[in-house]
Amino acid sequence: MQPTLNGFHNIKRYIDKHRRMVVAKILPGEFYVTKENELVTTVLGSCISACIWDDIMGIGGMNHFMLPCQNKHSPDAGIDTSYACRYGDWAMEYLINEILKNGGSRSNLRVKIFGGGKILNAMTDIGNGNIQFAKEFLSKEQLSIVAEDIGGPWPRKVFFHPNSGKAQVKKLKSLHNDTIERREKEYMQNIEVEEKSSGDIELF
Amino acid sequence: MKKILAVDDSASMRQMVSFTLKKAGFDVTEAKDGNEALTIAKSNQFDAVISDVNMPGMDGITLIRELRGLPDYKFTPMLMLTTESGMDKKTEGKEAGATGWIVKPFNPEQLLAVMNKVIR
Repeated sequence: MQPTLNGFHNIKRYIDKHRRMVVAKILPGEFYVTKENELVTTVLGSCISACIWDDIMGIGGMNHFMLPCQNKHSPDAGIDTSYACRYGDWAMEYLINEILKNGGSRSNLRVKIFGGGKILNAMTDIGNGNIQFAKEFLSKEQLSIVAEDIGGPWPRKVFFHPNSGKAQVKKLKSLHNDTIERREKEYMQNIEVEEKSSGDIELF
Repeated sequence: MKKILAVDDSASMRQMVSFTLKKAGFDVTEAKDGNEALTIAKSNQFDAVISDVNMPGMDGITLIRELRGLPDYKFTPMLMLTTESGMDKKTEGKEAGATGWIVKPFNPEQLLAVMNKVIR
């Protein structure tokens, strides 16, 4: 296994014998960027993943996030800059910046988006909010979406190959347990907690 | 009204920083990379600069170094606002002449507190 790029040592990787590839598995809130011939995978419920890669350099990665706050566009609030409402911006910013830092160019970036299903029964349509956010963000950044598989009642398992930009999506039609839903709920609560610890500032 | 130059290659980041500062009464000018920022800084005087690090063209650390070389910006507060939290980059920024280092994500109150502290 090739070593990961700096900063991704904590991401769990395994060798997929069937695919004969190293696969990096990301959880809600994580992201992974690589230059190597390897795959990135994740399982999405209402969360969304952006797969972004430099089409010329073959470097790219995937994130996995949700927006815990859905009132970003209420007319009275103007632009809500609170941490929770801007959580998606940070998730996208970190992924894009890491690709650029490792040799990608903004003008070569291509994007595929997946997820945003309506699977959390007790909640409002968080998946749809996540989809709207991703589309608005990408259009603001003038990044074009070349493929998408979003919405609907299904969780999805996604495999992404940053070297080529190829992605494979498996819709999970029957849920044997509530792992995905439970994990997403925990993740959402963690975002609120993280807010208090955000922002590392140092004055020289 | 204090004038701030905000530099980031991401449109949504520029919007977020700009919105936060304008709401607090600052006059904000935006630039999308180091080259554009340097050109703007030469024809206007700013009371503070806040810049991203990783940008196409001229990066934020080079921008700070260039600005520090100009007589008009020798003592201007310059903050880096970045996804980079590593010591190496931070040290590089400090040596280039940055006043402070803010790791994203920021929350609006923190950003304003730091800005008000360095700008007076």
